[in-house]
Amino acid sequence: MSENIGAEKTEEHAEKSKSERGFSDPTSNHLSGPATTLDTKTGPSLPYLFEAVGIAKKFEDGQVHALRGVNLRVMAGEFIAVTGPSGCGKTTLLQMLGALDRPTKGTLLYRGNSIPDLRDPWRYRALEIGFIFQAFHLLPTFTALENVQIPMFENHLSAAERKDRAVGLLKSVGLKNRLDHFPAKLSGGERQRVAIARSLANSPSVLLADEPTGNLDSENAHLILELIARLHHEQNMTLVLVTHDIGIAQRASRIIQMKDGRIVTDSESIIVRK
Amino acid sequence: MTFFTVVARGLIRRPVRTGLTVLGISVGIAAVVALVGISRGFSKSWETGMKARGTDVVISNMGSSLIPKPFSASVIDRIAHLPHVAATCGILVDLISVENAQMIMVSAREWGGFSWNNLKLISGRMPHDATEPAVLLGRTAANVLNKKVGDKIQIETGELSVIGIVDGNAWVENGSIILALPLFQEITGNLGKINIVDLRVNPSTSAKDVQRLCEQINSLVPEGRAVVAGEHITDSEAYRMAQAMSWGTSLLAVLVGVLGVMNTMLMTVFERTQEICILLALGWKRGRIIRMVLWESAMLGLLGGVAGVLIGSVGVRILGRTPSIRGLLEPDLSTGLLAVSVAIAVAVGVVSGLYPAWRSSRLVPSRALQS
Repeated sequence: MSENIGAEKTEEHAEKSKSERGFSDPTSNHLSGPATTLDTKTGPSLPYLFEAVGIAKKFEDGQVHALRGVNLRVMAGEFIAVTGPSGCGKTTLLQMLGALDRPTKGTLLYRGNSIPDLRDPWRYRALEIGFIFQAFHLLPTFTALENVQIPMFENHLSAAERKDRAVGLLKSVGLKNRLDHFPAKLSGGERQRVAIARSLANSPSVLLADEPTGNLDSENAHLILELIARLHHEQNMTLVLVTHDIGIAQRASRIIQMKDGRIVTDSESIIVRK
Repeated sequence: MTFFTVVARGLIRRPVRTGLTVLGISVGIAAVVALVGISRGFSKSWETGMKARGTDVVISNMGSSLIPKPFSASVIDRIAHLPHVAATCGILVDLISVENAQMIMVSAREWGGFSWNNLKLISGRMPHDATEPAVLLGRTAANVLNKKVGDKIQIETGELSVIGIVDGNAWVENGSIILALPLFQEITGNLGKINIVDLRVNPSTSAKDVQRLCEQINSLVPEGRAVVAGEHITDSEAYRMAQAMSWGTSLLAVLVGVLGVMNTMLMTVFERTQEICILLALGWKRGRIIRMVLWESAMLGLLGGVAGVLIGSVGVRILGRTPSIRGLLEPDLSTGLLAVSVAIAVAVGVVSGLYPAWRSSRLVPSRALQS
């Protein structure tokens, strides 16, 4: 598990993919910009990767307010832990950031582009975001190698290129001897490593991890956290990690605490105030 | 791994369900192959029989039965002198039960008519004259009746001798009992009656002249209808009814197949809701999800179609050997019919997959995170 996750081929692929995606990099200090779709190839340069203003989420029955006016700004390359008790809205916030669901109110931007208004949300999910789930969510009828290739179908890679890249990713998470194993034949820690390799399939800019160690024993949890932290460090990826464990949250450079659908403390704000 | 690997894995994850669905479609397709093949075979057998006898035009009154209605043999006198007519032969045919054969074709021919000429003796001899109480058996009929030269055969009230086994160069001919016309007229109480006139035209007659001849005969012979050989079957009300029934039954069977595939694909989509949501969360386009479901259902159709064609082809051959219809039918399992059957099965698969595919594309990816 010690190979460099950002292998040469991976970096080359990442650069190529990003240039094809049409997302602008935040280099200037504008606080906000027009909410355009991601198809705008020459969008405005903005400092924040994510910017949420007053986002709220009510579920269909109208009774559950999962989010109640969340304001958040995330810089590229940050490692943020979102913590709080069960039902406080952590996972819902992660879903909004990953375009898995839409807020019922508020503005949510990614590099200045409105996420709910994306013309091709699949493209955003496929190319910009890597998801790591608590329950791994590997597809049971596919081997580790095949699971890692699943997100690559929306990339313009040949079958051989997909396979080579998946082999490289699995090697980088220490699973070169488990390529042809089905999820049922892997341990919990191994499954989560496959899921991490899968999340890197298209060299995303952001990793969204929802309780990634929640189903693991302490030894595997430690290994997985080390791996995720290394990813963040080596590839300068933005990492948003949801956890209810304050010990894990303390590894992040910024801790956001949520309660009842609101952000109650944000360590960045504390630092800024200090 | 390609997209089709994903499609194939979707099918083999529940092998029993996939197998049963394929079986369901294959039964429907087997019904199409068998029923349509048999009805087409019936008309084709008649057509080849006519060709084997050298008949160019047939005068008969098929009406709504599969056996033509009898009419007076004097009809021949009215048409024999018409231009382009080279020869005629009056025939009385019937489908009757003879000894252990539940239904067998009996073909009684005008003595000396050209319709005897195509018969090649395999064993025995031809009758000496029209009054000899004897029959010839087509080689399939001999097998069905388990008779050989020298045996006696009971046809209704008459006991006749089997004097020869013949090859008539056509399924219908080989499955028939052939005898002289007066004998059968007497046995069946149809004295002076025939129900078919085989007519041969001069070799130089054009197709247009044959058509004109048919029109002339039709005006002269109101009790029958003259058509080009072979068409008298496809032209008959009974044949069209049988064909409509075979297609109708086939379509019902296919409809059952549609419901089977739709049920399977809906079950698949419901069962794989989380998997589909994960695919969406990982960036799969909704269009790709739709394609995946449609390809899976099309593959079910294709497998069902191929299996159905095999079951239908084998089944119809087994059916053709059953004592009740042995020697009567030669199914027409043409490549065209088999290809159309497989195409129907694939279409069934695609159509059945449309609703499940639409359902799958409406799923919200956030559901993937809910467990």
